Amino acid sequence: MTTTACFIIVSRNDIPIYEAEVGSATKREDAAQTHQFILHAALDIVQDHAWTTSAMYLKAIDRFNDLVVSVYVTAGHILCVFLNSYTQHILFGAYITLLNPLYLPGSRIASSHFDTKVRALARKYL
Amino acid sequence: MDPVKTPLGKMLLEEITPVVMVLRTPLVEESCLKNSLSFIEMLSPFCDFNNIDVPVRTSSDQPYRLQKFKLRLFYESDIKQPNIMVAKERLKQVITEAGEKDRSDLSTDPPDISNVLESSKSEISPSWFEIFNKELVRTVSFSEHEAFDHPVACVSVVSSKDEQPINKFVDLFNTNKLPSLLNDGAMDPKILKHYVLVHDNKDGPSEKATKILTEMKNTFGFNGCHLLCINSSQDEQIEHQDNPWAPYKFDSSPSQHLGRYLNIYDFNEIKDLIQELSSKHIIPYMEQKVRVLNQQVSATRKGFRNQIKNLWWRKGKEDTPDSSNGSMYTYSSVESQIRVLGDYAFMLGDYELALSNYRLVSTDYKIDKAWKCYAGVQEMMGLTYFMLDQSRKEAEYCMENAFNTYLKLGSSGRQNATRCGLWWIEMLKTKDQFKEAASVYFRICSEELLHSAVMLEQASYCYLLSQPPMLHKYGFHLVLSGDRYKKCDQIKHAIRTYRNAVSVYKGTPWSYIKDHVHFHIGQCYGFLGMYDVGVTHMLEVLACSHQSKATQELFLRDFLQIVQKAGKTFEVLRLQLPVINISSLKIDFEDHRTYASPGSTSVKESVWCSLEEEMIPSLPTARTNWLELQSKLLPKYKESNICVAGEAIKIAIEFKNPLEIPISISSVSLICELSATSDETNSDVSCSTSGIGNNEEHKNLREIISDTSSFSLSEVNISLGGGEAYLVQLTVTPKVEGILNIVGVRWNLSGSVVGFYSFGANYGKKKIAKGRRKAKQSPGNCLKFMVIKSLPKLEGFIRALPEKAYAGHLQHLVLELRNQSEFSVKNLKMKTSHPRFLNIGKQEDLDLEFPACLEKKTNVSPPANPKIASNGVFLFPEDLSVQGENLLLWPLWFRAAVPGNISLQVVIYYEMGDLSSGMRYRTLRMHYNLQVLPSLDVSFKISPYPSRLQEFLVHMDIVNKTDSESIQVNQLSTIGSQWEISLLQPIDAIFPSQSLIAGQAFSCFFVLKSCRKSSSTEESTSSLFPHIGSNVSLVPDGSKGAPFDTSNSPLADFHDCERLQHGISNQEAENSVDFILISRPLKNNAQPGVSDAHHVFSHHACHCRQEYTKLLIIISVYSTASTSPVSWVVDAPRTRHHDFSTTSFCEINFRMTIYNSSNARASIVMKTLDSTSISDQLRDETSGNQVGWHDVSLAKDNKMESDALRNHVRKSLLPESVSAFIWSGSSSTRVQLKPLSTTEIPLQICVFSPGIYDLSNYVLNWNLQPVDDHEKVGERIQSSGTSLGYPCYLTVLPSD
Repeated sequence: MTTTACFIIVSRNDIPIYEAEVGSATKREDAAQTHQFILHAALDIVQDHAWTTSAMYLKAIDRFNDLVVSVYVTAGHILCVFLNSYTQHILFGAYITLLNPLYLPGSRIASSHFDTKVRALARKYL
Repeated sequence: MDPVKTPLGKMLLEEITPVVMVLRTPLVEESCLKNSLSFIEMLSPFCDFNNIDVPVRTSSDQPYRLQKFKLRLFYESDIKQPNIMVAKERLKQVITEAGEKDRSDLSTDPPDISNVLESSKSEISPSWFEIFNKELVRTVSFSEHEAFDHPVACVSVVSSKDEQPINKFVDLFNTNKLPSLLNDGAMDPKILKHYVLVHDNKDGPSEKATKILTEMKNTFGFNGCHLLCINSSQDEQIEHQDNPWAPYKFDSSPSQHLGRYLNIYDFNEIKDLIQELSSKHIIPYMEQKVRVLNQQVSATRKGFRNQIKNLWWRKGKEDTPDSSNGSMYTYSSVESQIRVLGDYAFMLGDYELALSNYRLVSTDYKIDKAWKCYAGVQEMMGLTYFMLDQSRKEAEYCMENAFNTYLKLGSSGRQNATRCGLWWIEMLKTKDQFKEAASVYFRICSEELLHSAVMLEQASYCYLLSQPPMLHKYGFHLVLSGDRYKKCDQIKHAIRTYRNAVSVYKGTPWSYIKDHVHFHIGQCYGFLGMYDVGVTHMLEVLACSHQSKATQELFLRDFLQIVQKAGKTFEVLRLQLPVINISSLKIDFEDHRTYASPGSTSVKESVWCSLEEEMIPSLPTARTNWLELQSKLLPKYKESNICVAGEAIKIAIEFKNPLEIPISISSVSLICELSATSDETNSDVSCSTSGIGNNEEHKNLREIISDTSSFSLSEVNISLGGGEAYLVQLTVTPKVEGILNIVGVRWNLSGSVVGFYSFGANYGKKKIAKGRRKAKQSPGNCLKFMVIKSLPKLEGFIRALPEKAYAGHLQHLVLELRNQSEFSVKNLKMKTSHPRFLNIGKQEDLDLEFPACLEKKTNVSPPANPKIASNGVFLFPEDLSVQGENLLLWPLWFRAAVPGNISLQVVIYYEMGDLSSGMRYRTLRMHYNLQVLPSLDVSFKISPYPSRLQEFLVHMDIVNKTDSESIQVNQLSTIGSQWEISLLQPIDAIFPSQSLIAGQAFSCFFVLKSCRKSSSTEESTSSLFPHIGSNVSLVPDGSKGAPFDTSNSPLADFHDCERLQHGISNQEAENSVDFILISRPLKNNAQPGVSDAHHVFSHHACHCRQEYTKLLIIISVYSTASTSPVSWVVDAPRTRHHDFSTTSFCEINFRMTIYNSSNARASIVMKTLDSTSISDQLRDETSGNQVGWHDVSLAKDNKMESDALRNHVRKSLLPESVSAFIWSGSSSTRVQLKPLSTTEIPLQICVFSPGIYDLSNYVLNWNLQPVDDHEKVGERIQSSGTSLGYPCYLTVLPSD
């Protein structure tokens, strides 16, 4: 089964700090662009929901055609936005990173270690 | 809010109204067309009654007054389901027209998003959406399952010009022409009929028409006949104020005079006709029909009994297949009648009645699975709920139900679903549920791109209007819509949507989104030929390093295409391609510091400063000349850098290509500004450039570019491969004096786009590359230069300096100095950073033949004292001046002293011949990097020669550390007249091959003899010839020429440098020996032609000295004077045969020779000891002296080893094998020794048994007394000391 999935961590002020295109589907040229659009648009819905619910994990909060968006809202209001995948394991890894006291709010996550970890988890659970 | 006043209410009151079918003859149409109107168009303005005020009584007995009423007129041919293709064309036309009519200025900057949010609803969404939506609704009119589009009445119109008008009326009702709805039985063919005779007043008076009317009245009955006279205006054309027909004519143009022959009488006549038709005929007819139908329905369906019956009856029909259309119901069926009843009631405004009937029939349809009819009824139920303003939830539920049911039908229900959706959306909008409305818009998007584009755009406005505004969704849907518009070639619409999207996504960090929006809007502008705007958008996407290679290529190609089409060169401030790394900016300029090569500037300023320290005039003196001069001239620009007219300022800046595809950049040059010294205001203006806006800055830059007369710029063309970075070297050469300001850099991308980059704004906090006044330098000033009058400048280089050399490589080099200007320079001084590597020769060395000059000459003249001032500054002859085309050549000696990477700096100082110039002196800085490879590794061990005083054994180890070279060892020399060296064995015997191949090691022994004399005359000569020494040739005699002269320049000079390097002064040389090993690499077989004669390696194994601190250790079996001031040799026999049977003891006599090698008188006390314990104790004391830091000499390892060994030997041997002996004679002997003299002490021991005896238990105490007072006090010679005896074994054998 081929899946297409995307994982983006969004900092406050809608700044993407980490992006990963995961999933086994063959890469389409404009996939990254489409995914960005969908996830970016979903942030509106997230902002609506995030303050009305105490749940951190907002499953299938928005959808575009057959692409489903799920969000994990962290305490610092950093959003982990998923497209078509909701693996708690990825979340965990992401969460750990964001707990890093040395993390500067708004800066990009450039760690290659984090990247490989996310991709490994994605392969495992998708 | 009154539902009637909402947009949906208004729409329903317009769209769901009775339909009147119009049948007319061609002549009627002809008369009407004189006014550029069709018959229906002519009547249309009068069909809408806002205040008809007609009493209506439907089911209930209470009449009510109907206020708003409208008739819809259609020709019989139009009463049919529109063709889908035609409808599509029509919609497309609407969109295209709207696009063309769009008056908004497309080229302006997109509005700011906050402004968009503040603007009102009507401003946000374009007005043509209403027209479009109406058209869309009309595409599904006249369907069979809905009764409100079925004609209520039929008007047949015949012209008075028609022949036999009565027959014409009859003919018009010929069923062939009637719409299918009437013919197939979907509706009741018996409809209300009305007969109108049209008379054109232009054709003559109306008598004939009145006659026909009477005839008609007789034939068709009195009520249903009318005469309509039009075109009453005879001659003049009537200009209508607020032309009533204009809104009904889609393709109207101002040139057409709509209704030009219709005067006020015609107006009134038409009005009356319609009014009468509505109030007297149609409304009563509908009332009547509603009442009749209601009675029928009540009789058959209302009441409990009827319901049960109905259910029962329908149960029987359960097996019927799903019917997708309403054809199973004819007009006579109960269901159709209920539907008609509902629709009529709706049209007459009796919503309660309509709703109850719709409810009734909807269950029937549901049970019958007539889904289309069911959906239609549900839709109407929703609308009725809305009009009743009762239950929102019910209304929405019905709409959704209808919508979903239509969708379930597939393609046949698609359009109905769209209409239903639009109504539903309007309903949601009325209740401010914009978010839900948007999602419905999204759902009614069909596969058809254009249609969905419009829907998505409307959806996006809904998101914008929702509370709080959902900007992300707004942007996303705009982009979706714009993308579809673009695919449908609706470029103007695409631009509008994308422009709005740009305002949403302005400055977004979501890279792909930004790229998409800007790229597509740029393309759209390109299609429209608005290249300027297109290019500005395209510029945003150029630096798209995150995109794939193909996308990058696409972006760049399209960008260049648009630029090319524009046909002009764009000038772009802050062009993103290539990326300019401002932190790499490096400025090299030459004030009084000049550089010989570009590499010289990379050396730290502090390095140069420390080199120059000795040469340049000290600061106070400098103040009096040019610095002060400068400050007098230009008090204001004291802190700016100084450069010289005619000399280039070099700027290095890195250009980086962020893309994966190659780009070509041409005409890279600096943007500079040179103002005359007096023009202060101008420079102030340019200082403030960074603060002002983009456009102004741009203009400013362009102005600056235009003025290039006073300086010249270099241009560079580069081509950057994917991801490549290139350090571009640019120069500006000012031609006149003034203030030069380097503003930025410009370049040409792919020959069509000129990019500018201003340093000023970005270079704020950067440190300047050069210049010492860092502390008080204000930020922008490092790019500002004071240009002073042209000065002479010395250029120089060292000819043929190798980049790579083996350690010890000696070469004769020539320094070449040139002064291009006609002014002379004088007082040249020179200093090198590594005198060990580079030595300044004498002028006469220039033409020497190398290496022959190194060979020993027969007449040795004392070397002339070179003009080396303190601290190694070389002063050129004072009469020397360099000028014009004359070259100054000066010899240099190069020797690679130590392996490693060496950065070699040479500074030449010179003064201007012309004192009036702005600077008095300048320096030329030369820098070279050398790599020195290891060649021969030479180590020496020096040990006293056994049994000889003042002679030493030298053990030389040579290892060839080169990779491939074979090296021939030529000569070993000692330095200093007090040493003589000779081979221990002939060289042929120990070293037959005479050369060392790579990696080979070789060791060799020499005898070193000290020949110091205490005569004072000799000392004076030795100081004059400090380097005269002795040589040993390591090649067989005669094979090579004369031995190399180590006592002469340059070898002697380099030797001095080596000594300096090791921190040894000449005075300390007394007890040390320096070796010079001369070797040469052998000719390489692979290159037989290359002569290696010029490669001479000289190895200065400097200072293999024996330190006093290692005194104990160096003393081995045979002491030499050179280890301590006092040395001695015990001249004892090795073996002695004695017949112990005859004499019980044996007396052995021997001598001790003592030598005083110092220049002082020595008093020596020699004590013999019988106990070993004392010697141990003493030894401990002395060894304690060794604790702490001490010089590590080559012999150290050996010494330590021997020390340890000796300890061991003593301890183990003494108790057992060494038998006791006694010293006989005096236990203490005192002698006085003159400097450099020897004496002998006789000694005697007695042994009592055969054995081996160690004669080491004695102690020498010495004390030096200086001969005269001239001896330096600070000399590091110990004035007294104690030396222990060293082992000397004597074997006594019993003789037979």
